[in-house]
Amino acid sequence: MSDAGVVRLLLFRVGSLVCAAEAERVREILPRLQPTRIPGAPPVVAGVVNVRGTLVTVVEGWRALRQPEPSADGGGGEGGSGTTVLLEVGGGKKVLGFTVDEVVDLVSVGGEALERRQALPGIDPTLVRAVGRLAGQLFVVLDTDALLTPILSS
Amino acid sequence: MSHTVLVCDDAIFMRTMISDILAQAGFEVVGEAETGSQAVEKYRQLKPDLVTMDIVMPDMGGIDAVREIVKHDPDAKILMCSAMGQQALVVEAIQAGAKDFVVKPFQPSRVLEAVQRVLG
Amino acid sequence: MDLSQYAELFLAESREHLSACNQLLLEWERSPANLAPVGGLFRAVHTVKGMAATMGYARVTELAHRAENLLDLLRRGGRPATDEVLQLLFRARDALEQAVELSVVGREDEIDVAEVVADLDGAAAQLGRGGEGGGGIGARTTPVPAPAPAVETPATAGRLVQVTLRAEAPLKGGRALLAIKKAQAVGPVRAVTPPESAFEADEFDGRFSFRIGGGAGVAEIERAVRAAGDVEHVTVGGEERRAAPGAGGPSAAPETKSRHIRVDLGRLDSLMDLIGELVTVRGRLNDLAAYARDPAIDDVAIQVSRLSRELQAEIIQARMTPVWQVFDRFPRLVRDLARELGKQVAFRVEGKEIELDRAILDELGDPLLHLLRNAVDHGVEPLAERRRRGKKPEAEIVLAAVRERASVAISVSDDGRGIDRKKILERAKRDGVVDPHAEALTDDQLLRVLARPGFSTAEAVTSVSGRGVGIDVAVTRIRALGGSIDIRSEEGKGTTFVMRLPVTLAIVRALIAGVGAERYALPLTYVAETVEFGVQATTIVEGREAIVLRDRVVPLVHLRRLLGVSGDAPTRCPIIVLEMGERTSGIVVDGMLGQQEIVVKGFDAPHGTLPVFSGATIMGDGVPALILDAGGLL
Repeated sequence: MSDAGVVRLLLFRVGSLVCAAEAERVREILPRLQPTRIPGAPPVVAGVVNVRGTLVTVVEGWRALRQPEPSADGGGGEGGSGTTVLLEVGGGKKVLGFTVDEVVDLVSVGGEALERRQALPGIDPTLVRAVGRLAGQLFVVLDTDALLTPILSS
Repeated sequence: MSHTVLVCDDAIFMRTMISDILAQAGFEVVGEAETGSQAVEKYRQLKPDLVTMDIVMPDMGGIDAVREIVKHDPDAKILMCSAMGQQALVVEAIQAGAKDFVVKPFQPSRVLEAVQRVLG
Repeated sequence: MDLSQYAELFLAESREHLSACNQLLLEWERSPANLAPVGGLFRAVHTVKGMAATMGYARVTELAHRAENLLDLLRRGGRPATDEVLQLLFRARDALEQAVELSVVGREDEIDVAEVVADLDGAAAQLGRGGEGGGGIGARTTPVPAPAPAVETPATAGRLVQVTLRAEAPLKGGRALLAIKKAQAVGPVRAVTPPESAFEADEFDGRFSFRIGGGAGVAEIERAVRAAGDVEHVTVGGEERRAAPGAGGPSAAPETKSRHIRVDLGRLDSLMDLIGELVTVRGRLNDLAAYARDPAIDDVAIQVSRLSRELQAEIIQARMTPVWQVFDRFPRLVRDLARELGKQVAFRVEGKEIELDRAILDELGDPLLHLLRNAVDHGVEPLAERRRRGKKPEAEIVLAAVRERASVAISVSDDGRGIDRKKILERAKRDGVVDPHAEALTDDQLLRVLARPGFSTAEAVTSVSGRGVGIDVAVTRIRALGGSIDIRSEEGKGTTFVMRLPVTLAIVRALIAGVGAERYALPLTYVAETVEFGVQATTIVEGREAIVLRDRVVPLVHLRRLLGVSGDAPTRCPIIVLEMGERTSGIVVDGMLGQQEIVVKGFDAPHGTLPVFSGATIMGDGVPALILDAGGLL
């Protein structure tokens, strides 16, 4: 992400947080899929889902970002977050699913709209790349590699 | 009607190349053999118009195969495929009844010339 | 003609022949007096020469030609091979291999074959000279004929025919003989000069003459002679005619398709993926058909099932490759190693024709290499030690493939010193791998210790196996392929490693087991049977819950507990008995949901994932199920 250029961001909500991921890292946006539990995996992993024949490991967004568990009917899902965003990890080598309550918007913002600030209440600063503001709404640009890579084993 | 050919060589590489040359010239390759005894067997089954026969093959060599084939069909049209340095063997093959020969490396035009001579 | 399209075929086939050369040379080396392998060697080298000449690879051709000369002399000489000659032939084979590989990638000019060629020629010259009594090159090449008496007039009746063949014509003797045969069809031929026997000599220059009787006219005779091809001049009865230059063959016919297709491995892989998806969809269709209870849909579902099963079988078959494609390079390797280490080893390969999926076979080379190196380097004792133990000086190493149910067992055995368990036990205690009070190591424990990365018991670090025995590498690779590895070792008698591998990776038949609300697939490869047992029928053997099955103690694994599924198991439940070599285990599940073909797929396992899964598959309803790995459960 350059400081000066325009960046396309996907905005989504997880609990009370509005987060953003760089759109070029987003492979696909899917409805919530039925995950299969992976025994032994940490609780932050929802399981593995079938995306048209390919198996994708899915991370539960609210757990990863330490948000309260969404209520059964909240977010329009079947007892969980309503949408799965497929994100490229490690320079596109792997794809992981990340559950969010809802996708808010796809926006283009100039570098000046983003602030290299990391301290934000309620979120681990190592996961934050920048903070932005759009129409009065504060959002957190996530460092998706820092968030997701440690979950996978080497 | 196109002429039918039986291609005998222990190397797939050679069989492929000879078959390609002949097929491109409108011949119909009806069978392939990897050994001399297979060649004899297939000749009996397929009665091809032409046989291309490698000299050095496992099991039964090309020259013995020529003898066997000619014993049953004196009119068999057999074209030997030889290599440089096989003069004595080629002579032996012709004495055994082979009708012509080509020398590796094959040039398509030379192969087709020889085939024409044998069939002509 | 575009030759590049044949390069791949050339390479594949040359490799095969050169690999065969290795086997034949080794065979010859074992009993130098037995000349049976020489014919095969000659043929293999000759074939490579012919192909290389066609491809225009001059250095390969040259090298093969010289090697072929030497082999021909040896073949005709009928004497045992000396070690010197054998080593030279090994060297020539290796040089030929290198030349082939480099030529195909357009780097032919990087090869210097001069030295090997000179040595081959030297050896051939020596053989030729020493060839008294029918040996040597003289046996084939008839004495050099007196040069060109061709234009001299034979003093017999009939028309004199004088022929000169084109200078560039190859094998002029054969051509001359053909011309004479053609002439014989129009009249009796006499006084052939030089005599026909000279046609067999390489030195024949293409000029010859003969007399022909009968009433055939000049034109008829000339036409007959020219029909032999490659004729430059013919003079019949004094009249000379010049051959029309470039009397060509037929013009090129329109292009037709090649009858041969070579399939790229990548294509085969993607075909396999597609079949995988088809199998998944087929499962879904079957579920829908069962639900719809409509005979028409049933019919279609059955047909689709049959067709896709056949298609699948065909494609799996197309991927199957005999193990010799990997095994064939080992005899040479073992021999070289043994020579280097000053050991005598008889190496045997069994079950070469057993087939495995290409993808598995490709992964086997390295593990086998490690195990074989180990066997030669650490397994086989030095000569003095073997003698001291009263063993025959020549050690035996066997590489064998055997088909077992749906798997293939590949073993590497040696009759060497066996593994010194005491030493390993000490080391294992020091490293904290086993209980410090342990008194002996079982085979299983032994393997576990050996498989620790970098574990080495070699007294001396040799250049062959380097540091560490490499067993960790073998174990990791084999496990990754869904296989297992076992060890049997007896001190003083030898060591055997047995690897068991599924025949194919991509699609396997599996049992679907239910545990709570979850489903797991268990490939049938290692399933021996399933039994139903009440909870009360279990006993405790050596601190583990087990059942006794026909006098065999089968320790139990409760899948529900292992996988952390909450709730209680039903009181009566099935036990799936797994068997992998000597090891056995009973897997307790809640229920059996049937048997089906599953497509094995990988997934990104998060850290902490239990090491009992070999992948996952997509069930008929589109939801994934994890595949249990028998090796991990045992």
